[in-house]
Amino acid sequence: MEAHMSNIKILIVDDEQIMRESLAGWLERDGNLVATAASGEEALKKLSKSRFDILLVDIKMEGMSGLDVLRKVKESDPDVAIVMITAYGSIATAIEAMKNGAVDYLLKPFDPNALGVLIDKITEHQAQAREILYHREQYKDRARFESMIGQSKSMQKIFDLIQDIAPTGSTVLISGETGTGKGLAAKAIHTNSPRCNGPFVAINCGAIPKHLMESELFGHQKGAFTDAKETRKGRLELAHGGTLFLDEIGEISMRMQIDLLQVLEDRIFYRVGGTQPIEAYFRVIAATNQNLEGSVKAGSFREDLYYRLNVISFRMPPLRERKEDIPLLTEHFVRRFSQETNKPIDKISREALDEMMLYEWPGNVRELENAIERAVVVGKGRIIQPQDLPIFRPEHVTSPQSNTLKEVEKAHIVQILNENQWNIAKSSKFLDIDRSTLYSKIKRYQIKKPA
Amino acid sequence: MLVIKWKRSDCLSFQSEHSILISPVEDFNPDLLESISREVQRLFGYRTEIMSLLQDVGFALDPGRDQHHSTLILEKLAGLAPARVIKVLAVTRVDLFIPILTHVYGEAQIGGRACILSTHRLNEGLATSAREIFNQRVVKETIHELGHTFNLRHCQEHACIMHYCRSIKDVDRKADQLCRYCRILLADELKRLAAT
Repeated sequence: MEAHMSNIKILIVDDEQIMRESLAGWLERDGNLVATAASGEEALKKLSKSRFDILLVDIKMEGMSGLDVLRKVKESDPDVAIVMITAYGSIATAIEAMKNGAVDYLLKPFDPNALGVLIDKITEHQAQAREILYHREQYKDRARFESMIGQSKSMQKIFDLIQDIAPTGSTVLISGETGTGKGLAAKAIHTNSPRCNGPFVAINCGAIPKHLMESELFGHQKGAFTDAKETRKGRLELAHGGTLFLDEIGEISMRMQIDLLQVLEDRIFYRVGGTQPIEAYFRVIAATNQNLEGSVKAGSFREDLYYRLNVISFRMPPLRERKEDIPLLTEHFVRRFSQETNKPIDKISREALDEMMLYEWPGNVRELENAIERAVVVGKGRIIQPQDLPIFRPEHVTSPQSNTLKEVEKAHIVQILNENQWNIAKSSKFLDIDRSTLYSKIKRYQIKKPA
Repeated sequence: MLVIKWKRSDCLSFQSEHSILISPVEDFNPDLLESISREVQRLFGYRTEIMSLLQDVGFALDPGRDQHHSTLILEKLAGLAPARVIKVLAVTRVDLFIPILTHVYGEAQIGGRACILSTHRLNEGLATSAREIFNQRVVKETIHELGHTFNLRHCQEHACIMHYCRSIKDVDRKADQLCRYCRILLADELKRLAAT
């Protein structure tokens, strides 16, 4: 039961309304986010718009059968776990489904415990996979650190603001799109503060698997749970005397929101399984790319925590609002990557720079950084040419009617998805955004997978 | 039999004129109903009434399964409850099911008005003399179902009353309290209800 109580997204596909509804109601009691579809066709439509962790699919349906759904889904999103629901007579089909990649099947009506055990098994497996990914990403993150660069007015304002707020010790909330450098701003606040000799501990709340979050943040006492063989300090404890940076704060669970609020209010916390209060002497900086006020209104983010965090707040401008910084940033990245790759590339052509100035950079500075890295790697001469840039598409130049940011972003996402055969993991890596962000963009722009 | 009682707790001041109605389907031991009532007052802070709204649940019987469809009973209860009643908590001896599952111990309208608990499977492993343990199980599981109507979901804390127990042993092991998370979430919901 442990893993499975944290917003698992489940889609129930059954053409019998009463079955759909009763199962949905049952699964909602666990705090799962449950959606239903009355046919295979409807299920695929829902899947093209949002991501699910588990699909419960009835084998026998009018129109598209459960097996058809299974095949289609496995082609586009092999990560999603599919459980077949079957009546007594069609076990043979269920076994065939297992051969085609279904995780398991349930014979209806099923025992509530059998369902619970199965969902636990699936979520534990998925959590392990996420954990591996998380540790891998952690390793990558450590290798990269940049300073903030910008001469634009909007960046100068940010620099001034950072100078002003750094010494205060107040909690700061930084908003801004992915890739705008919220983490760098947080680090800059830390280095300009009296705590600069203390640690700067960053936590990406969206990346830590939910079941690890509590012990990751608060640490645990030996024996607190089965795997707790040693007492371990959490990140909060490691941040003592320094700054705790909570990135993607909008992603944390309700439980964790309650815990964090308590830390901010009482300045003490407990290790998991611990009874001794530990003093929390650190500054908190939080960041989000979401509209937290909207989340508060929707009830998914606690109002009291929002006000605790939102003492001082500012927004990191997206790169398209400070295009005058592109040449400077480009120069910086070219220098860095040519050094790293040992390639004698030291210039960028006028045409390439023009392309870059025209582009809207939905992935912001991080996308620019990736574009330059790629250009340095694939470039043949000493000078970067437009065709070395992943953003360079002749059709961009010829279709000025689609120049609103949204259209450009949508077109870019479609292109990257197509180039990567709609492999979400690869595409999100290429775009340098989280999978969840990519899914939400696909949903928002109603991007459909080509048939 | 129709029992109507008004109860007021000593330690809690009730914030509203609303009450929570405990509605036994069959005859239950008054002590058991009293215990449920006391716990409801203690944890949710509302006054309670004990009154049988629905004594015949035959309409929900599935003869093929010889079980009662709990969702249908909840709909009926929610419709029957008088306006002053904010939540209805029914207790029954019949075995309950929802169509996709073999059985359920109870069902609740999440964030809604009605919930029901069946005592049918709570006798498991008990001698008929062990009434105290049986009563504790019923009280815990009624509170659990009522918690759902206050928008609480299952909780991962094993000791929390909102923990979903796979086995009856786990029911015996869990406490008669909400954990600190669920207490806060319940307080949020009570505040929200008071404001509307």
